[in-house]
Amino acid sequence: MNTIVFGEGLERVAVRPITPDIFWITHCLGDKAQDIYKNYFSMLPNAADYSGHRIVDYPFSAFLIRDEKSLMIDTGAPRQQANTLKAVEYVLGDKSLDYIWISHVELPHAGNAPALKRRYPQAQYMTVRGGEQYALHGLEGAQLMAPGEVIDLGKHQLESVEPLFVDHGLSQWAYERTTGFTFTADWAHNLHEPAKNECFMFLDEMETAGYSAALHCDDVKVNAWYQFPWLKWTDPDEVCTAIDAFFARYDTKILAPSHGNIIRGDMARYVPLIKEGMRQAIAM
Amino acid sequence: MIRNIVGDVYQIGEYVEGSYGYEAVLVYVIMNEQHPILIDCGSQLHRTGIMQEINSLLAGRTPEYIFLTHSELPHAGNLQQVAKQWPNIKVIVSNVMLPYIEIAPILPLSQITSEAAGKTINVGGRTLKFVFATLKDQPGSQWVFDAQTGVLFTGDGFGYYQSAEQIGKFSDEVEGGIREIQFRDYHRTAFHFLRWVLPEKFNPDLDAIFAQLPVKIIAPIHGDAIRGDIPTHVARLKQAVANIRNAV
Repeated sequence: MNTIVFGEGLERVAVRPITPDIFWITHCLGDKAQDIYKNYFSMLPNAADYSGHRIVDYPFSAFLIRDEKSLMIDTGAPRQQANTLKAVEYVLGDKSLDYIWISHVELPHAGNAPALKRRYPQAQYMTVRGGEQYALHGLEGAQLMAPGEVIDLGKHQLESVEPLFVDHGLSQWAYERTTGFTFTADWAHNLHEPAKNECFMFLDEMETAGYSAALHCDDVKVNAWYQFPWLKWTDPDEVCTAIDAFFARYDTKILAPSHGNIIRGDMARYVPLIKEGMRQAIAM
Repeated sequence: MIRNIVGDVYQIGEYVEGSYGYEAVLVYVIMNEQHPILIDCGSQLHRTGIMQEINSLLAGRTPEYIFLTHSELPHAGNLQQVAKQWPNIKVIVSNVMLPYIEIAPILPLSQITSEAAGKTINVGGRTLKFVFATLKDQPGSQWVFDAQTGVLFTGDGFGYYQSAEQIGKFSDEVEGGIREIQFRDYHRTAFHFLRWVLPEKFNPDLDAIFAQLPVKIIAPIHGDAIRGDIPTHVARLKQAVANIRNAV
């Protein structure tokens, strides 16, 4: 299966397999990105350095694991609801969706949970322990997970992971133990350029086409600065030590952030680059 | 529960129970003569009560603006109903927010405007200043200051859990005001990033806001308004942030 695209513009959603049974379901704007993101770099403290910079795009992703039990990591936003449901139905066919796993309750991550629940009424909401008012966020009846708890899907086992860097109070990341698929929600993502046909590419494919390590590092920096405004109050050495400890604990073969292109392997090359991006974000 | 805070500023809303006590889910209304302004619009779970209270307060007047401190459902969950009743209402959000994807597709995007921190707008003679939120639970969170009354609307910032006896009471109606532990319990879960935050770096940025603005009242969405004795409550908030960090 290659990349399948449903709809266009503000509503378009693509689905692409990362492994035979883990699917990337993602929205980005493509040609319309220039309308929304033409000033993406203008709020940076060093905005002048980005004058005439590239026109970038910013994906909003969910991930679907198809197994004896199927699980969706996040849901996408209501604006793309119809096409997200089409993508899920395309992957699952007659199979059921059993779990709707939510990293955090912002609309781009959890906004289609009620629609998915209506389509797959047997699906169980799964989200992070610590919150008590999930009904306020449209997740009535959610089952709560603590870090380390695992959902057995058959061939896949999805572990709830204590997140390092969050933009929302109650958040979780995920690690799939069979494939080494690590989901980091809002952290460690790059940007891509529709004009270079980079939409829906894996990061190694972008690199083959010219995307550089320097650009990747800068993208991680810029996105972290926007996503985590609190970084300026942190200790960079503490942050980098925590990143090293995280990847020592979770043997990551696939790095899947919500808002970037998917990294397939070679984490020894990418982790130093991501750490440097974080250091630079803290220093901005 | 409708309560007048100061001048023409009111709070309405509901309270939900949890293991730490009660959490307010409030909406603020600035009556502003013929140009009313809503600050957030509450949870869809409380739609009937919230809309009744807004209508009761407005008594037939049409709100001109709604400012969303951020787009989470407890803050924006009634936007659909607000837009249905007042289809010409203008929505203001932070310029860091992406309305096309962070707000449910309820209103035309042309009715949603973005304002940067530091900017002021005039609504029927009323000056509102947008303020960088030092405590954001979304990148697009923003605070707003009403110069006429000195009320700083802080979204999730300065939220706190309260006992059943405290429900609906302003800080000056509670003996001793809002305690540090109340701020700490709330901020630990609402702002999970605080475990990383060094108080010596954070405190000057928070202090700068209160040095620059003559804040008389702090109005969080998740806690009744904090009226008076602002320095004490800011100090308690800073202590709560330090205690969250020290507990790591």
